[in-house]
Amino acid sequence: MQPQKTEQFTVPIGPQHPALKEPSSFLISVDGEVVTNAIVRLGYAHRGIEKATESRTYVQNLYLLERICGICSHIHGTAFAMGVERLAGVEVPPRAQAIRLIIAELERIHSHMLWLGVGAHQGGFDALFMFSWRDRETVMDLLESISGNRVNYSANVLGGVKFDLTAAHIGDILKALDYLEERTHHYLKVVTTDASFLQRTRGIGTMTRHQAEVLGAIGPTARASGVLRDVRIEAPYGAYVDHPVTTITDDRGDLEARFAVRIKELFESYRLIREVLDDLPPGDIKTRVKRKIPEGEAAFRVEAPRGELFYFIKSDGTDIPSRVKVRTPTICNMTSVVKLAVGHQLADVPMILAGIDPCFSCNDRMVRVNRNNGSDGWTWEQLRQHGIEYYKQRSQDYDPLVVG
Amino acid sequence: MKFGMMFKDVSGALFKKPFTENYPAEPTETPDRLRGSLVWDPDSCTGCGLCARDCPAMAIEIEVIDKKAKHYQMTYHIDRCTFCGQCVESCNQGSLVMEGGEWELASLSREPFTEVGERPPLVVEETE
Repeated sequence: MQPQKTEQFTVPIGPQHPALKEPSSFLISVDGEVVTNAIVRLGYAHRGIEKATESRTYVQNLYLLERICGICSHIHGTAFAMGVERLAGVEVPPRAQAIRLIIAELERIHSHMLWLGVGAHQGGFDALFMFSWRDRETVMDLLESISGNRVNYSANVLGGVKFDLTAAHIGDILKALDYLEERTHHYLKVVTTDASFLQRTRGIGTMTRHQAEVLGAIGPTARASGVLRDVRIEAPYGAYVDHPVTTITDDRGDLEARFAVRIKELFESYRLIREVLDDLPPGDIKTRVKRKIPEGEAAFRVEAPRGELFYFIKSDGTDIPSRVKVRTPTICNMTSVVKLAVGHQLADVPMILAGIDPCFSCNDRMVRVNRNNGSDGWTWEQLRQHGIEYYKQRSQDYDPLVVG
Repeated sequence: MKFGMMFKDVSGALFKKPFTENYPAEPTETPDRLRGSLVWDPDSCTGCGLCARDCPAMAIEIEVIDKKAKHYQMTYHIDRCTFCGQCVESCNQGSLVMEGGEWELASLSREPFTEVGERPPLVVEETE
């Protein structure tokens, strides 16, 4: 008797909003309901920002780079501004550094609360989703009153910040933090005790400490697996030098640990903001930076809400950078999703994906493929021919269409 | 382990007003620093063009018609503006203000989104 032939069944998820409202494609091979293999395809939201920076001045790039991510926009601006300030050899006033830290931590609070809602929604817990987003509005209102914008605050300028904090702002922040702290205690209790939600998170997507290190996980995803990886501690920058952070880690590595770590990080952010506001240095909020940046290279790392954010800036002595390279945290964590999904139920895949707090338009970068035949890419015409052939095979003939 | 941890929040919300704002039926209070469309003061402008040079969205054009008579024309493309406020930051004369500007900017046509302002030429008295 011949052995029964087994066929692999692949479920395509995406590219139209797979779990989250951003494009990416996942090919999940399943055996029944159990995932046997997962392949991720990124690049649907590539915008060519790195190339665009090479035709804009440093001042203009500050706002362009801020738009890489809508959630963690301030930290992108901070990383770029601090990198350029390092190249220019400029010392930023302490008050500006403190304000940068406060806005960065407020941003971390709203990012983590947004993620809490998204994570809960993926788990089918929409009550938690709606209430956590309602409370997130408290932070959004604070950021709006400080900077004038809800997102893309444009708080940074080269050499400091645009806005000062008034006594009214400080009062509002402290009042809002008291309210948020009370609510955060409640949410921590919900995600660690609610039986129906724990069935979706406890023991799901468990990443061991060794796996986290091998897969290169960063940010809260790595910290939930017990890996102490936090740029604010490893290489303190700006006001973090004077105001150290206590890192929250968890050894369990599952989705529950990721919820717990991110919510506990909120308490740390509240503490840090209070500490800095208590001891807000007086003085100027900006210093002058020359338009032409001296020739050189600078690499700058900061801790974004999702993990380490890396900026490389190369200057050729003009007012336009010759190269800006950005590495966002999601790309480092994406491999963990592919590995962790194997062996789980198909229904758990959206939760595992949401567990790393992905941001797809952040991580889409150009990939250059070196071909064996010597050519390093396709021409526009070759690409078009490939497209026509591809669709012909799928019995759609686009050949008679004239493009352009 | 418990069930229905959010039950108290949900049932309590039944007796509260909606948290969302009823905009535009009820006008929304905006913070003082909210950035709206740019307001240009032609009297203090020196026509240096730093605002136009630093604008990341190419929303400002400054044209010097007559440098001696300090005759400038400013074109502001509101539909390109990202309201980042860099122009206000770059202006050394304080001729630009964005805080408290108009922010309800919806329109059915593109015409209202280009504002052209002009600084009238100085009248120089001829002396013999």
